[in-house]
Amino acid sequence: MNMELVRNVPKGGFNFDNCKRNEMLLSSGFQHPKTVKTGTTIAGIIFKDGVILGADTRATEGPIVSDKNCSKIHYLAKNMYCCGAGTAADTEMTTDLIASQLEMHRLNTGRQVPVVAANTLLKQFLFRYQGHISAALVLGGVDKTGSYIYCIHPHGSTDKLPYATMGSGSLAAMSVFESRWKPDMTEEEGKLLVRDAIAAGVFNDLGSGSNIDLCVIRKDSVDYLRNYELANLKGKRHGDYRFKPGTTELVGKEEIIEVVPFEAFHKKLYGDETAEAMEVGA
Amino acid sequence: MHKIQSFPEYQVPGAQHQDFSPYESNGGSIVAIAGEDYVVIAADTRLSSGYTIHTRKQNKLFQLSEKTVLGSTGCWCDTLALTSLVNARMQMYEHLHLKTMSTEAVAQMLSILMYNRRFFPYYVSNVLAGLDSEGKGVVYSYDPIGHCERTTYRAGGSAGTLLQPVLDNQIGGKDRDVKNKPKVPLEKAKEVAKDAFISAAERDIYTGDSVILKVITKDGITEEEVQLRKD
Amino acid sequence: MFLTRAEYDRGVNTFSPEGRLFQVEYAIEAIKLGSTAIGICTSSGVVLAAEKRSTSELMVSSSVEKIVQVDRHIGCVTSGLTADARTLIDRARVECQNYWFIYNEPMPIESCAQAVSAMAIQFGDSSDGGSAMSRPFGVAMLFAGINEGVPQLWHMDPSGTYVRYGAKAIGSGSEGAQQTLKDEYHKDMSLQEATKLAMSILKQVMEEKLESKNVEVLVMKPNEDFRMFSKEEVEREINAL
Repeated sequence: MNMELVRNVPKGGFNFDNCKRNEMLLSSGFQHPKTVKTGTTIAGIIFKDGVILGADTRATEGPIVSDKNCSKIHYLAKNMYCCGAGTAADTEMTTDLIASQLEMHRLNTGRQVPVVAANTLLKQFLFRYQGHISAALVLGGVDKTGSYIYCIHPHGSTDKLPYATMGSGSLAAMSVFESRWKPDMTEEEGKLLVRDAIAAGVFNDLGSGSNIDLCVIRKDSVDYLRNYELANLKGKRHGDYRFKPGTTELVGKEEIIEVVPFEAFHKKLYGDETAEAMEVGA
Repeated sequence: MHKIQSFPEYQVPGAQHQDFSPYESNGGSIVAIAGEDYVVIAADTRLSSGYTIHTRKQNKLFQLSEKTVLGSTGCWCDTLALTSLVNARMQMYEHLHLKTMSTEAVAQMLSILMYNRRFFPYYVSNVLAGLDSEGKGVVYSYDPIGHCERTTYRAGGSAGTLLQPVLDNQIGGKDRDVKNKPKVPLEKAKEVAKDAFISAAERDIYTGDSVILKVITKDGITEEEVQLRKD
Repeated sequence: MFLTRAEYDRGVNTFSPEGRLFQVEYAIEAIKLGSTAIGICTSSGVVLAAEKRSTSELMVSSSVEKIVQVDRHIGCVTSGLTADARTLIDRARVECQNYWFIYNEPMPIESCAQAVSAMAIQFGDSSDGGSAMSRPFGVAMLFAGINEGVPQLWHMDPSGTYVRYGAKAIGSGSEGAQQTLKDEYHKDMSLQEATKLAMSILKQVMEEKLESKNVEVLVMKPNEDFRMFSKEEVEREINAL
């Protein structure tokens, strides 16, 4: 009964139908539409009781800021979060997908999933797409074996590190970590360090900006500190830019609205020819 | 343009093709608004390339005379080359013709200096503001190869496309009841110029840090600076 | 030691022991063979009046141009070698157009005189390329124009010297004419008076009878473009004398 509809339901996985066509378009001068990039600063450290993740909140499309307060610290599992840099859609979809797999894994095994499992799933997924999924991730979590920060690159390579940064502001943030990170920091010290690292990216990297998000993961608790600091307040304008009703002049009178039946409208456009006749003509 | 790759028979083994890119975009925006007896010109002070900031305090307004100020952004090295050439030519003019160049004369000369590089242009977005020989405020805007247009308001540079419609509406009275369009007083022009930059800094990553605003009247040129967001 | 003056009057680059450049002085002499031209500047305009010598009854006098247009706001009269004059006038026209092209405003009269003067003294630059003139131009010029709304009269001679004048005469009758101008000219003169004065001086110094066919008159006024007097206007001026 619903065959027509069913036929249009896409199968799972990516659809590569238009690849050949796009290649042809590209070679004849067509420009790709821009994707939203989170030219980003993300960072994570291990401290005494767990890990702290941090991220800025700017999303850009080329030189334009497309979101001034986006969220780049994604949920993976109760004990794991993951910061994403790169193409916004890729980081969101990848983390969501892996989050669902991790939940399946937890249900199947009946125990807390270790951070290394998330790392493996993410790297295997990204490797499969040979870097075409542009997600650069900082994975952080705590399990019963300890606290972990993983750095995951778009091609699938990963590093297990005590502190890591990613995104266009990674150098600015890493300069803070390199000078001030030390083992077994307190939570307060750690939060300040990550805040400063992200702030370095926010102010010195044009791809990063706006506010600072933090996420503190301890052995059995998580503080997701959304907009931990509003590093940049919106500028205050002097003037009032609201418009009074009637600002735009009404050009005509009320009679301008003319209801034209579809038949007459079509006839006005195409004359007496039918649609079929048009196609033959064209 | 044909690249060497298009002619495989001429390719030499081991030779590598290198593309030379002579231009760089260093960002920055300009707004200029002219009134009956004044002209306001403002530019932000961020100089950047790619995702890095070179400096947060680069003045992009060049005072050419008591009555003329040039705002220039784009490829900063081209801006420096062009403005020093303009300064030299204005000095030569002063020596040769024993008078200071009028805003109109500077406007025309700038157009010619830029068209002179028609096939290797100065990669700059110029907005010239000044008082004309009758003392009226005037704004000239340019494309990189010397097209010159005399107007009363203009936004240019990296956020030029964002700001021009704002000026069209607030200063030009577009999409408004134009019949009783009031003349723009100086205070309103300054306010709109500053607010435009505050808004541009929200959305354009190449505009920010601070904005320098110059007001030219018959009594001289005054300058003020307003802070913008720094991210 | 100094044999004759002739030792020092060959090269245009050789000073005489007294510090004179004879070739330039000879060139100035050449002007005195030319027909007379008079310029008078008043606050409301400049007038140029020039004699047109006809060497033959058969000559078509209207084909001789004494007063020429340099730009919309500058007129010019020359005295001396006509062919040399054409070269300098051509340069003046080019300079005015170039100035307009670069600055989009009319060229100052002084700058125009200066540009022509730069060409007039190129005779010495024999070393750079050899395209320069091998002798000074045998021409004196009067530029009458409107400079930023103000009427001005400028004079230039073969030495390249250019000076602003209230009233100036050049050509064969210039000595007598200049004396009369000195006596009669005053700053508050009206343009009508100036025109009349120029015509009456011409009448005095010309060998031929003053007629509409052997005189040209130009009056430049602020806010008006270059325009020569028509035959009728010239006749009216002559009859009014």
